Amino acid sequence: MNQRTSEVLRYLGAKNAATPEALEYAKTIRRTADRFFWQLDEQLTPKGLYRLFPLRHEPDGETTLLDSHGQSVLTLPGQLAKRLLADCQQAALLLATLGTPFDALLRTQQARDMAEAAILDACGNVLVEELCDQLEQNIQQAYPQLYLTDRFSPGYGDLPLGLQRELLAALDAHRQAGICLTDSCLMTPAKSVTAIVGLARQPQAAKIRGCAYCTLRDHCTFRKDGKRCDSF
Amino acid sequence: MIRFDQGFIQLDGAMGTLLQQNGLKPGMHPEEMNLLHGEAVTAIHRTYVEAGSRIIYTNTFGASARKLASAGLTPEEVIPAAVRLAKAATAGTDALVALDIGPLGELLEPMGTLSFEDAYAEFSRIAKAGAAVGADLAVIETMTDLYEAKAALLAVKENTSLPVLVTMSFEATGRTFTGCTMASMAHTLEGLGADAIGINCSLGPVQAAPFIRELARHTTLPIIAKPNAGLPDPSTGCYDLTPSQYAKAMLACADAGATLLGGCCGTNPEYLRALRDALADYQPAKRTTEKSSFVCTPTRPLSMDGVKVIGERINPTGKKRLKQALLDEDMDYVASLAVEQMDAGADLLDVNVGMPGVDEVTLLPKVVKKLQSVVPLPLQLDTTNPAALEAALRVYNGKAAVNSVNGSAESLQTVLPIVKKYGASVVGLCMDEKGLPATAEERIAIARRIKAAANAIGIPDEDLWIDCLALTVSAQQEQALETLKALRVIRYELGLNTVLGVSNISFGLPNRPLITQTFLVQALHCGLTLPIINPNQRELMDAIAAHRVLCCEDAQCSDYVARFAQESSAAPAAKAANQALSLEESIYRGLQKEAADAAVQLLQNGSETGMSIVEKRLIPTLDKVGMDYESGRLFLPQLLGAAQAAQAVFEHIRTAMGEGSTTDKGKLIIATVKGDIHDIGKNIVKTVLENYGYQVIDLGRDVAPEMIVETVTSQNIRLVGLSALMTTTLPAMEETVQQLKALPNPPAIMVGGAVVTPDYAEKLGVYYAADARQAAEVTKTILG
Repeated sequence: MNQRTSEVLRYLGAKNAATPEALEYAKTIRRTADRFFWQLDEQLTPKGLYRLFPLRHEPDGETTLLDSHGQSVLTLPGQLAKRLLADCQQAALLLATLGTPFDALLRTQQARDMAEAAILDACGNVLVEELCDQLEQNIQQAYPQLYLTDRFSPGYGDLPLGLQRELLAALDAHRQAGICLTDSCLMTPAKSVTAIVGLARQPQAAKIRGCAYCTLRDHCTFRKDGKRCDSF
Repeated sequence: MIRFDQGFIQLDGAMGTLLQQNGLKPGMHPEEMNLLHGEAVTAIHRTYVEAGSRIIYTNTFGASARKLASAGLTPEEVIPAAVRLAKAATAGTDALVALDIGPLGELLEPMGTLSFEDAYAEFSRIAKAGAAVGADLAVIETMTDLYEAKAALLAVKENTSLPVLVTMSFEATGRTFTGCTMASMAHTLEGLGADAIGINCSLGPVQAAPFIRELARHTTLPIIAKPNAGLPDPSTGCYDLTPSQYAKAMLACADAGATLLGGCCGTNPEYLRALRDALADYQPAKRTTEKSSFVCTPTRPLSMDGVKVIGERINPTGKKRLKQALLDEDMDYVASLAVEQMDAGADLLDVNVGMPGVDEVTLLPKVVKKLQSVVPLPLQLDTTNPAALEAALRVYNGKAAVNSVNGSAESLQTVLPIVKKYGASVVGLCMDEKGLPATAEERIAIARRIKAAANAIGIPDEDLWIDCLALTVSAQQEQALETLKALRVIRYELGLNTVLGVSNISFGLPNRPLITQTFLVQALHCGLTLPIINPNQRELMDAIAAHRVLCCEDAQCSDYVARFAQESSAAPAAKAANQALSLEESIYRGLQKEAADAAVQLLQNGSETGMSIVEKRLIPTLDKVGMDYESGRLFLPQLLGAAQAAQAVFEHIRTAMGEGSTTDKGKLIIATVKGDIHDIGKNIVKTVLENYGYQVIDLGRDVAPEMIVETVTSQNIRLVGLSALMTTTLPAMEETVQQLKALPNPPAIMVGGAVVTPDYAEKLGVYYAADARQAAEVTKTILG
């Protein structure tokens, strides 16, 4: 089975879809998703970029990203950043976006057919995650001797969402990728992701994959049923 | 008066890096330098003047109120200082000072939350502040959104008398980040009265040159090239061209047609000196511009290089459902008509909302904004109300068409200046004060008169399309031939594009499609280029497909073959299988047509009333779908598919039961709270609730608490659904809840969205709905 369309199914729920009809319908979703992926690959120019910054571990537990002159660019407060970046001498800021054309396609699809729009929306999520994975691979290839930490973003754990503005500024994201931020720290275009990944000299255990670090853990429908979202 | 069309004019280079070398600290606004280190800013300007720059840009790229707010500054403080510093640098030289205007840093609606009107207001403040202290001209630069560029251009032109240059930033794909094409930029900005246009930033001169060449084909205006010093190294951020390499590459931009030349990121006075030396014995390129009729949206340029179909469906005349939708401002219905016509092959859409009971001046721009948010097609604004026309042209993103002006003195005097101001195309109707002419000759005479008046005001032939009027053949039979005769002359002698509302012809006759199709073919043969038709009528679109083959417009018949190949493969197999499904089964499976057919059958054989279908079949089925979704047996699209099938049934029942009768079970408001702009979840809830028979007043996304309170009070609403997706917008949700609870008779409230938890809802003292299914449960509890 195609990995991308499996991801789409995961976004669209139906974790107990075991009847023949449901499995049949899953095929329909996969077909529709395939059609959308084909269209999106054709029409979008997703944009991904990353930049590396040296780190300074502050005595008060904060972690500071520095520019090439040793000036502070961005300070990451909180335990999550501290723990994840503890072994790291540098960290990369990542940015991935599908651009405003995806938002336009989704608006059109909502006016055309809401059911298919839900599938298109899920396809967008899959693509932007895929782009983040690709960026991580690029970093790993550029620095084969180093080990990457888990990828984390503003809004995870105790890393505040309000950090987004400075993070985007550090990446010159408006100029480089057309990303804007609303007053409430929402990125536009909608399918945009920023993330931080640390680079260390020794292997890094996965720390935030899994439910304990998920912001949805308290009301996750998968967990209520004793399942996990990655077990589809 | 500055002339931009007399040889090369050298612009300046980058400002930011030079400011950093002269005291700009990280985190500081570059504009603060105007107040803190004015002498350094003047010194930088002067080095550019000495390097040969004849136009220098003030240090005001980010001087908008919203960007300066975090530094506690205003445009009125920063801009006059910046202009004076630049003037000090140019004193005693012939160099000019350009007020620099950059993007506001927030996306405009529908991509973001900033309204066109607010953007215009911001740019107006900047323009006024710069003009007041004597800037010689204005430059709008680094724009990636044509809509924002338009807001800025209108602001400069309406608030100052300054000449204005506009440049946008294009990616290597030839489009801006927001998908704007070179052709769309060129035609839109030239139409709006820019004095010169071009590209800046993003690319180096090597990559920019071919795009300059493309731009030159689409505009008669002088062209600006202000690229970066090559491409940046991703790890160091350094640009890859030396000053001499840069200057040499800039000559390629000059060869492509640019005459206003300068540098952006990575350049410095050294680059500009090299450019000055390179240009010293160089001549501007000879320019030729393609003349073509053209309309566009940012992402969809449309050249009239053959037959193009104008969809006629967005017009309330004779359409009960659309009339109701316009009265209710049910924009989703209007949008669905647009998508349907686009999918059927329309190239542009006529938009008419004129009917008793609506205020066209507010409604037409609202509809235009909605349509532009869902379809990329260019629009033809169809109104007899000049104020509505201007209001709609103002908010239109791109180059629109206007339907219409006629030959009467009054019409020519009122409509043409509006068309000219906003750079639109216009349809000229072959009638005047005396009414409809009976002969072809009279029509042609009126067409000539309209052409003369349009040309006199500066509207070129390409932007004038003539409608020589199709009349109903059952009433005035001989008129069809007169129409065709006039068409031939207007198309082949006057050389103008021609428009015709084709469907009128068959009114009152049996087998209307046959008459309409036959007349369409005759008219196409006589030179009709822009038929206004219902693109959902297969016969008509088939005829056009065939016509395009026979006129060699469809090379290798490829479109034609694709059109009919698709058809023969798709249809038959799937159909037969679903024939015998019950209403319940059809809804459960999300089969819209089958569900509607089943409902019609139940209604026709009199076994059930509309109400009983809703109560006994539709709602129980939706409940089952909802429960199966909740227990994880169905996917979200299945829930929505069932809702849509139920919607199709509803439409039939409403028609069958007639106006006034109701399946309406009460109304509620839903909205995404202030600051939150992701609305697909809210839209899903809306779709589902509507199909339970509730009237859903959708206030949209990013909705202020006051707006919600106001609607609750004025419409006596008993239930409000609020959605929030980000932790940062939860305070807005709380604020809204508090304001609603402070009402004398507060409505029930339910909340949902990614970050909302049952505990949180309990804390607020409101209902919680995890998804559309639970929202339906809550609604049932409250509204019954």
